[in-house]
Amino acid sequence: MYKHKRNNNFRSYATKYTTKFATIVSLGLAAVTLTPQAFGQESLPALGEGSSPWKVDVFYENATYFRGKDNTGNSVGLSKFRNTLQAEADKDLSNGWAFHGIFRGTYDGVYQLNKDEYGRNAGGAVALESSALAGTPGHYLPFGQGVVNWATAQGIGLPPSNAFGFNSTIPGGQVNPSTSPAAVANLPYNPNQGLRVLFDRWGNNPGGVQVAVPVRPCDVDNRGCTDFGGYGDKKRSELESPEFNSKLDFIREFYVKKNFNLDDGKQVFVKLGKQQVVWGRTDLFRVLDVINPVDYSRNNIYDELQDIRIPMWILQAEYRMGASDTFQDRNVSVVWNFDQFRPNNLGQCGTPNSILDAACILRAFKSLWDNGGTIANFASALPPGTPGNGPHLSTDFGPHTIGIRNVELPDWSFKNTQLGIKWEGVTAGGFSFSLNGLTYRSQLPSLHMFNVGALNPFTGAIVNTSDLIAFDLVYPRVSLIGGSADFQIPDANLAVRLEAALTHGEEFGNSAQASGYSKNRVFRSVIGLDRPTIIPWINEAEATLFSAQLFYQHIFDHELYDRPFGKVGMVDWENNFTGTLLIRASLLNARLNPQVVLARDFKAHAFAVAPSVSYRYSDNLSFNVGANFKFLDDDKRLHFADQRDSGSFAPFGAYTDANGNTQTGPGAWGLSGLVPLGAFRAGPIGAAWREDEIQFSMKYKF
Amino acid sequence: MNIKANTRTLKIVAACAAAFLAQAAHAVTDAELEEAFFPYKKGFPTAPGLKAGMVINKSNVDQFKDIIIPGHFKLIKDGWMEIPVAATFDMPLPKPYIEATKQHADKVKLGTTIEGFVSGRPFPQQPSASDPRAGEKLAWNFKYGLNWGDGAIIYPFYWRYINANTGAIERTMKFEFHFLNFMHRIVNDPKPNITPNPSQLYRGTYVKVHEPLDLKNTQLLIQAYEDDLKRSDAYLYLGFQRRVRRLATGQTTDSFLGSDLMIEDFEGYNGRVSDYKWKFIETKNALMPYYKHNEMKKFHPDFKEADGYKFIGFTGKANCTPDITWQLRKVHVLEGRPVDAGHPISKRLIYLDAQIMTPSMSTIYDRKGEIWKSFQIGKAHPDFHLSINKDSGIPLDDSGSVIDLQSNHCTAITFRGEIDPAKNPATIFQVQNLRGGD
Repeated sequence: MYKHKRNNNFRSYATKYTTKFATIVSLGLAAVTLTPQAFGQESLPALGEGSSPWKVDVFYENATYFRGKDNTGNSVGLSKFRNTLQAEADKDLSNGWAFHGIFRGTYDGVYQLNKDEYGRNAGGAVALESSALAGTPGHYLPFGQGVVNWATAQGIGLPPSNAFGFNSTIPGGQVNPSTSPAAVANLPYNPNQGLRVLFDRWGNNPGGVQVAVPVRPCDVDNRGCTDFGGYGDKKRSELESPEFNSKLDFIREFYVKKNFNLDDGKQVFVKLGKQQVVWGRTDLFRVLDVINPVDYSRNNIYDELQDIRIPMWILQAEYRMGASDTFQDRNVSVVWNFDQFRPNNLGQCGTPNSILDAACILRAFKSLWDNGGTIANFASALPPGTPGNGPHLSTDFGPHTIGIRNVELPDWSFKNTQLGIKWEGVTAGGFSFSLNGLTYRSQLPSLHMFNVGALNPFTGAIVNTSDLIAFDLVYPRVSLIGGSADFQIPDANLAVRLEAALTHGEEFGNSAQASGYSKNRVFRSVIGLDRPTIIPWINEAEATLFSAQLFYQHIFDHELYDRPFGKVGMVDWENNFTGTLLIRASLLNARLNPQVVLARDFKAHAFAVAPSVSYRYSDNLSFNVGANFKFLDDDKRLHFADQRDSGSFAPFGAYTDANGNTQTGPGAWGLSGLVPLGAFRAGPIGAAWREDEIQFSMKYKF
Repeated sequence: MNIKANTRTLKIVAACAAAFLAQAAHAVTDAELEEAFFPYKKGFPTAPGLKAGMVINKSNVDQFKDIIIPGHFKLIKDGWMEIPVAATFDMPLPKPYIEATKQHADKVKLGTTIEGFVSGRPFPQQPSASDPRAGEKLAWNFKYGLNWGDGAIIYPFYWRYINANTGAIERTMKFEFHFLNFMHRIVNDPKPNITPNPSQLYRGTYVKVHEPLDLKNTQLLIQAYEDDLKRSDAYLYLGFQRRVRRLATGQTTDSFLGSDLMIEDFEGYNGRVSDYKWKFIETKNALMPYYKHNEMKKFHPDFKEADGYKFIGFTGKANCTPDITWQLRKVHVLEGRPVDAGHPISKRLIYLDAQIMTPSMSTIYDRKGEIWKSFQIGKAHPDFHLSINKDSGIPLDDSGSVIDLQSNHCTAITFRGEIDPAKNPATIFQVQNLRGGD
């Protein structure tokens, strides 16, 4: 049987990338050092009583992007028409406090200007493959007309209580013909409309699993729409203007800060409010910079992090000790993220930006659970006991059989808040470093096979099993220890940046585990080199910056096993490297900046190049023209166990290998394809390789 | 061949011995101090045809070629600017600085680098053409010069980038600059050094950008080491990245935020003494942009302060040059050539004010040896400025410009400087301070 087990690998990729493609001890220490007088003299700030006036800057930005043909040959056209109005306000308050606020409102017109692609007319009817019927009219059949369904299942000997089949034809619902009392009584309407085939924008999966996914805004089509953690259930107007929501995201930043000067020359710095807290020293990759979640829906990994970090309500306190006999600078800081947990925003299927196509995977599997659906090439066409792993037939699954059952979002509670501590210093020799510790919650989802109380579609019975292709989505607790450093090598004119972290508690999809996931320790590191170089033929006065970075990730206790039809285990690479190179020139007194960013995901064999030219006409008006091209060598190497053969309900759907051995219980045998896990091997670059884009933006400050 | 070789060796040894003797410290006489710090006690300098109240322009500049630095001579000749001449006045330095010089200068000598320096002016003696290290000594004199004293703030500090071909103002920057001497302090406590200071930092420079929006909240921290052989550390906080970025030191010779200045150009010269080979050319009288701020006639029309402080304005071609008066002063002419063959310039010619020991005038040559930029920093008498600066004895950087003669581009800068220790605590000069930015 097919089993999509794991979306858990979100974390390995989205943690490592960012943009532009990018404790108690301390509290106690601070408390001991702060004298009562120090605080007694420093009352809380009073808005409006400061002597300085408000300083407010307002700007408007238009970003208009176009995409070419996707993998289906469809010309996408307009992919962004985003209009941003942002105000930044500052004011010195009384008693040394200062206020800083950033307010942003966005309207993206792409959902109405290109409604065939991203709006109410997006998607359409789809047909799904039965490889066993190649060369016949039944090779591709419409969604809702899978070869295996409630009626045909009885034709091969299954009882009328089987739970195959769903309602693609009767609006308002249909009585479930299954006689199983456990099956859904009323089949919701799940028509062959507004659909696309999962991954069709960037990959092909002939002979493999294909899943239909709704792509219209949730006010037009709510199939598969649910709150995955602040995303995934948005109507068109919310997609157009994402900041105006219950979380008040139009308030990008809103905090007060102050330095408390202590008698011994030391300081306590406090910053309280909605803010971004940035740890680490590297660009593009997020190794330590994990305090704020990131909104990938805005522009995948290609916007500046400051624009896509999701600000959180945080208290920062730093005890700044200054120099000692051995360190030129010392400080210890505590970061308490007391906001309600929010994960990374992975977008919504049917919108222009769905990093790793994760939003489509989530929506497809949520819709499968709620409504059922046709899955291509799922049921084996081989008679039981016949050696082999194909060909296959399209299969109509009923609701509550396959997919995502529940999304478990943590409520606000003290224990669900997140706490970090950082010791940072500069040695006498100028070596700058930090040691970091953080307990937080994963910003990427993990899918747990719930296994207990599963609906066996073959019989309609409720059973306990394992390796079930049905999940609850959770955000596990993670702890991190790490550090960063930078120094210069004068003789080479190099600045060197280092960052590393070891996490405990991250979860990865793992088809070798009955629960479909495993907790693994992960080591991540980045080394970055910056070298400004005068290249006379470019500019004799202004240096051209070369900035190279190499990211490395290692998953401990990585599992990958050979099975009769292929490998099972963890789709994430045990070791992976990603390299980036930025070359940025400066002309006309830094008003004209041509640059190119190159990125290579070595394991995925994916490559991206993003040339751009920015021109600053004046202090108030600037333009940027750019492009974004991605390349992927061969998607065959991305194929991984898709778990059609997981055997959760053996002997039903059991496979037989070439030696005549037949599955006797759950446990995948490695039947593979691009869907649904190939995106995680492709990474953010490879999974978007058919999203080449021409970009134009204009920014005007009022 | 052996005889020839031995002869050459002897000559080298003799030369080295002579050079060593020349660098050996000796007691500083009152006469030497008088000449160093009060060069106008016997009268102000004169030049043929030069009178206070006259204006030097392209029609008469040839007559005054010898008292104008080459870059500015070309600027006047080409019609970029004129020089209104005013009477020379004395700007005596603070007594503690002179006293420190008197107390410590006899212990200072040059080895591989400077040795025995405590505070004051390291080499108060007049430079001599016969001293092979006279240029180097002058470079040390301005490195350890009074500059902004133990510490100061410049805020607001406006920079305008101007296309001189069209007169278009390309950018207007509003900066905040702070300077702090960690060592060799003479006026403000703690003296002479701020401790602990395990890195042996000599001086810190902190910069914050307030405008324009795209660079707002950018901060720069430069930490210069007492060990002149050690490269400065530089850290940049980029508001849009929300984090501190270590700079490769090469970026100190890159255009600073698109301006016509490099970090190395700050205050006339902001690099290490050891980055250049220095050569003393001569001592002479030359026109310098020194004036009394409060007695200037016209001020900048665009930049205003709530307390009524007025910024020096600009005039000349594309408003690239400060609208100030100049005076004839005693200067030491110094030539510096970068040690690094990859340096973007081949030479800088500096007119070092003999009394203040500040490189107020520089002509910068490109790698081909042609005049590239001409740089001036106007010095304002502290008693004719903000009240907080009165009696400080610290001549104030008050206006300036860097004109790129090759691309017809300039950066015009105008200051509000304050000698105010309270606005300049050492905590500003810690890397962590940058991280508190917005």
